Amino acid sequence: MAYSPYWNPKNETLPREDLQRLQLLKLQRMAAFAYANSPFHRRSFDAAGFHPEQLKTLDDLRRMPFMTREDWMASIAEHPLFGDLPATAETNGIRYHLTSGTSGRTPIRVLDGTKDWDWISEMWCYGIWGFGVRPEDVVYFAFGYGHFIGFWGAHYACEKIGALVIPGGAQTTEARVRQIVDMGVTTVCSTPTYALRLWQQATEMGIDLATQSKVNKIILSGEPAGSIPAVKHQLEEAWGAKCGDTAGMTELGTIMIFECDHQPGGTHIIEDHYIEEVINPDSGEPVGYGELGERVVTSFGRGFIPVLRYRTKDMVMKVPYSTCSCGRTGDLYDGGIRGRWDDMKLIRGTNVYPRAVEAIVREHDAIDEFQIYIWRRDDLRDEITIKVELKPGREAEWPVVEEALARELAHAHEGLRFLIELMEPNTLPRFELKAKRLQDARPVAQY
Amino acid sequence: MAETDLLGMPLAEHERETLRIYEELKTLASRDDLPPCVARNVRQALASMWQATNDLNLQFEQLYDLGV
Repeated sequence: MAYSPYWNPKNETLPREDLQRLQLLKLQRMAAFAYANSPFHRRSFDAAGFHPEQLKTLDDLRRMPFMTREDWMASIAEHPLFGDLPATAETNGIRYHLTSGTSGRTPIRVLDGTKDWDWISEMWCYGIWGFGVRPEDVVYFAFGYGHFIGFWGAHYACEKIGALVIPGGAQTTEARVRQIVDMGVTTVCSTPTYALRLWQQATEMGIDLATQSKVNKIILSGEPAGSIPAVKHQLEEAWGAKCGDTAGMTELGTIMIFECDHQPGGTHIIEDHYIEEVINPDSGEPVGYGELGERVVTSFGRGFIPVLRYRTKDMVMKVPYSTCSCGRTGDLYDGGIRGRWDDMKLIRGTNVYPRAVEAIVREHDAIDEFQIYIWRRDDLRDEITIKVELKPGREAEWPVVEEALARELAHAHEGLRFLIELMEPNTLPRFELKAKRLQDARPVAQY
Repeated sequence: MAETDLLGMPLAEHERETLRIYEELKTLASRDDLPPCVARNVRQALASMWQATNDLNLQFEQLYDLGV
């Protein structure tokens, strides 16, 4: 059967000027709804001297105050359980989820109503369909289905598409590998880290996933690594499948960007449902195409908890839609989410981003797992060590890997010296969801 | 019934029909004499039709007053 390559052909190919007219109209309505119904937004707008009626053009969005995670957390602390953001009665909620709390902060609690929860899967449909999943596919979710929102929306999206969905749930990695092979799975949804882990496990079991499984698509989410070329290349070789990146956040409930099956090296923004601004994180001023900046998102989806001009701290670089040949008119983030502004570590005056380190480490095929370990020597001098495990049978390559890693990392970081340490097999932690490969052991200053 | 979408474009036949069913579901959901099996399934259907009509720019509204 011939299918449209687009989930929503009308809007995914809408001329830019019509797309922007649609965004303005939705913005006006969502801002008015939030002002009328969410005490948080009314207070915030009033404090900034902003009123939704001032939204005459899309540029007027800049008159609206930013919303921050800190404001949200303060609201939750002051008005448990959900803060004063909800724009409707909590009894309208049918679903409760939490942020993953990766960075160690208290999680954010979110509620969704019936149409919000369905919208969450709708956004995943844009991405999953756009990467080529069809009703004939068998989709496996290597996901634990807990209170972290993760792939929940993607699960329901695949059901909506009409694919056969296999919820992996709480199983061992070995059992998951067997299920993927035995059930004729064609599509796997996973974090990049766990997709690598599945492949490692399969190799230990004597299974070559590239030839012994039917998997031809892997949909990645949850970590920036999904758009790191070296990681993708490694995964595509290992699985014999195409890898597509997506990114979302619990604050929105779902994804806002996805990689289409043309694999342009970036992720399309779903612009009929979001406005994505990119700003200079220091000045708050917008940056242009091709410049690195901070993502600021306005969502037209979940009305229960309106998210307007939310500063995500995600590091992105927007490029025009014409960068991709798929015909979509949604702009892209080149390289997906490139990291987080607050992930940056300062080591002896040099900025170090974990994602940039990972991009270099993953260029070395002999490396199985790694950890970035930051520590302080003699209470004085900050050091950064890359702890490395090699793949079984590749131990002889260590001298070459060690020398190359040290050289390449220093070259990419203004000559900063990286220490490289070989670890025994299976001593570094493995991850299913968001990998935590950075350990900062420096003491916190006490005054 | 509207003859154009939110951008002023004329409705295609399938869009007109989709919008009509959405509006009828809203009317049904507003009734308070429906048994639970009807009331809740109508809301589920309305949530689905909200996606279709929103994706096609036929409406952009909230449905919390109807419990959806």
